[in-house]
Amino acid sequence: MSKKITVSKAIGEALHEEMVRDDKVFIMGEDMAVMGNVFAITRGFLEEFGPNRVIDTPISEEGFCGMAVGAAMRGMRPVVELMYDDFATVAADPLLNQAAKMRYMSGGQATVPMVLRAPMGAGRRNAGQHSQSLENFFCHFPGLKVIAPCSAKDAKGMLKTAIRDDDPVIVLEHKLLYAKKEEIPEEEYLIPLGLADVKREGKDLTIITWSREVNFSLEAAKTLAAEGIDVEVLDLRSLVPLDWDAIVKSVSKTHNVIIVSEEVKRGSYAGEISAQIAEELFDELDAPVERVCGLNIVPPFSPTLEDENFPHPDTIVKAVKRVLNK
Amino acid sequence: MQYSKEFLLEIHKNLLETRLLEEKMKDLYAQGRVPGHVHSGVGQEAAYVGTLSTRKPGDYFKLTHRPTAMPRMLGTPLEMLFGELLAKKTGNSGGRGGSLHIGELRTGVLGMSGTLGCDAGVAVGAALTIDMEGRDNIVYMFMGDGTSSRGPVYEAMNLAAAWKLPVLFVCENNQFAISTHVSTSIPVENALADRAAGYGMPARVADGTDVLAVYEAAKEMAGHVRSGQGPAVLECKDYRWRGHFEGDQCAYRDAAVAKEWMENRDCVKNLEAMLAERGVLTAEEAGAMRTAFDGEMEAAIAHAEAAPSMTPDEIYDGLYA
Repeated sequence: MSKKITVSKAIGEALHEEMVRDDKVFIMGEDMAVMGNVFAITRGFLEEFGPNRVIDTPISEEGFCGMAVGAAMRGMRPVVELMYDDFATVAADPLLNQAAKMRYMSGGQATVPMVLRAPMGAGRRNAGQHSQSLENFFCHFPGLKVIAPCSAKDAKGMLKTAIRDDDPVIVLEHKLLYAKKEEIPEEEYLIPLGLADVKREGKDLTIITWSREVNFSLEAAKTLAAEGIDVEVLDLRSLVPLDWDAIVKSVSKTHNVIIVSEEVKRGSYAGEISAQIAEELFDELDAPVERVCGLNIVPPFSPTLEDENFPHPDTIVKAVKRVLNK
Repeated sequence: MQYSKEFLLEIHKNLLETRLLEEKMKDLYAQGRVPGHVHSGVGQEAAYVGTLSTRKPGDYFKLTHRPTAMPRMLGTPLEMLFGELLAKKTGNSGGRGGSLHIGELRTGVLGMSGTLGCDAGVAVGAALTIDMEGRDNIVYMFMGDGTSSRGPVYEAMNLAAAWKLPVLFVCENNQFAISTHVSTSIPVENALADRAAGYGMPARVADGTDVLAVYEAAKEMAGHVRSGQGPAVLECKDYRWRGHFEGDQCAYRDAAVAKEWMENRDCVKNLEAMLAERGVLTAEEAGAMRTAFDGEMEAAIAHAEAAPSMTPDEIYDGLYA
């Protein structure tokens, strides 16, 4: 049995099911309770679970992310939300120096079972401080798991798994996916972290991607198929841990790769994956790996300019043809 | 104030052992036996020992880099403490944390942060757990005067106060942030206590070199916090005897002032004089305690030095992502 719901509703269902299942799970963030979240994800939660488990915070990202670490170290399972992933820079220390390092630096005495949900991405005309894709920022630091699901099904199943994980998990949610309606299973299910998903099989080139760019890559694949080019779309879903086996399998089949993300190209996680492929799979490649990313600019406000700043299906089509020399 | 003999002997024991440990650590460092750095807390023991003498089972503690030896008072064995200091497998984190990160979760220690004040939120989060579980425990969040100027401290204080969470913010004001004196960096007389009013918190300032004065002020503030009325501030005034790190020659300050503090405001010496006067503990008995504890420390150091070091194949142990 399946049902068709929006990505944001799927995320809300994951939170709801886990809060019902485990009374150690609570949610905390700006405008999560009374308002029910700026994207309406937690509407009704306050009434159902009460103010001790659905907590509105002051504008204190550094403070409440630190609190999540402390509460998690002492037995709770907090799910906190940054209204925008851009605010991770103001909460950098609790995430990168506390949550990420606690288990290692304490020699395994402490675990930090917290989840940070962080809406990300371009396309809402929110300018430079509300539109970034900061995968590289989170993925740089050993000790954080980082996931960036695209579909409603993955968003729900992976968030549920993240909440049950004993280590900190960053969940990057693209804001422009929230309203997308998709089929998900009716019954309860979990999707493990660290497993990529082949969203489309193909033999000519592998598009490695995640989050919203999965949808753009699938659109590009359709256009390319009409021209006789058969691309595989590998949705990483989980950035850390990275499903390297899935990359090896796909690249060994297609021998051509592009990596598509919305990040600033310079220093991107896409670049990291490209480097790993160059180091480990050089002999499998028929052409250099290409990164198809955002530009090396501050995200602009102007719709005309912003639309230049992330890969679209036609950008992806052009890149595929360039790599295949077609 | 009337104290039982048992209480006075207990607080003296903790004060003396902390002193001897701090001295031993700096000596070990001077002998080149400790990797990294040591931040000696000699002279500052009373602020911590007096405050922590108000603790109850189930309380949590956010400690700082100085005094390094505080986990001992909270129950961490000497072998483990020196094991960590010497980067051995027998250390509390198997040598992954080092001198700044001694402590055991089981004793209530929430760790220390190398990024100062950034862990104040962690302390408040642990207090949230206490609150959610409906316990009457509290969290002791220690910081220095330097850290009292950090932004995250104030986010944490605001959150704790807004939600009436059980945190005692303790500022141990030793007057120096490495070389920078409070007079040039903090616009109020009392680094944290004067700022407490901004969050509606009660505050007390104590002579940080008088362990019983600290205890009294801490008892009042910890009692406030424990009774569910929300967070409070305790500030203990003392002086950093040593450099920020061992090897710091303190060329930036007046040696005569330092000497004055060391001679007249020695928390161990002054307590022992008082105990001798009251007939609670003689100088001979105190001397015997020193000798006995030195033996314990030497045995623990020998144990740590004989313990295995980490091996390269263990480098990823404990890392999951």
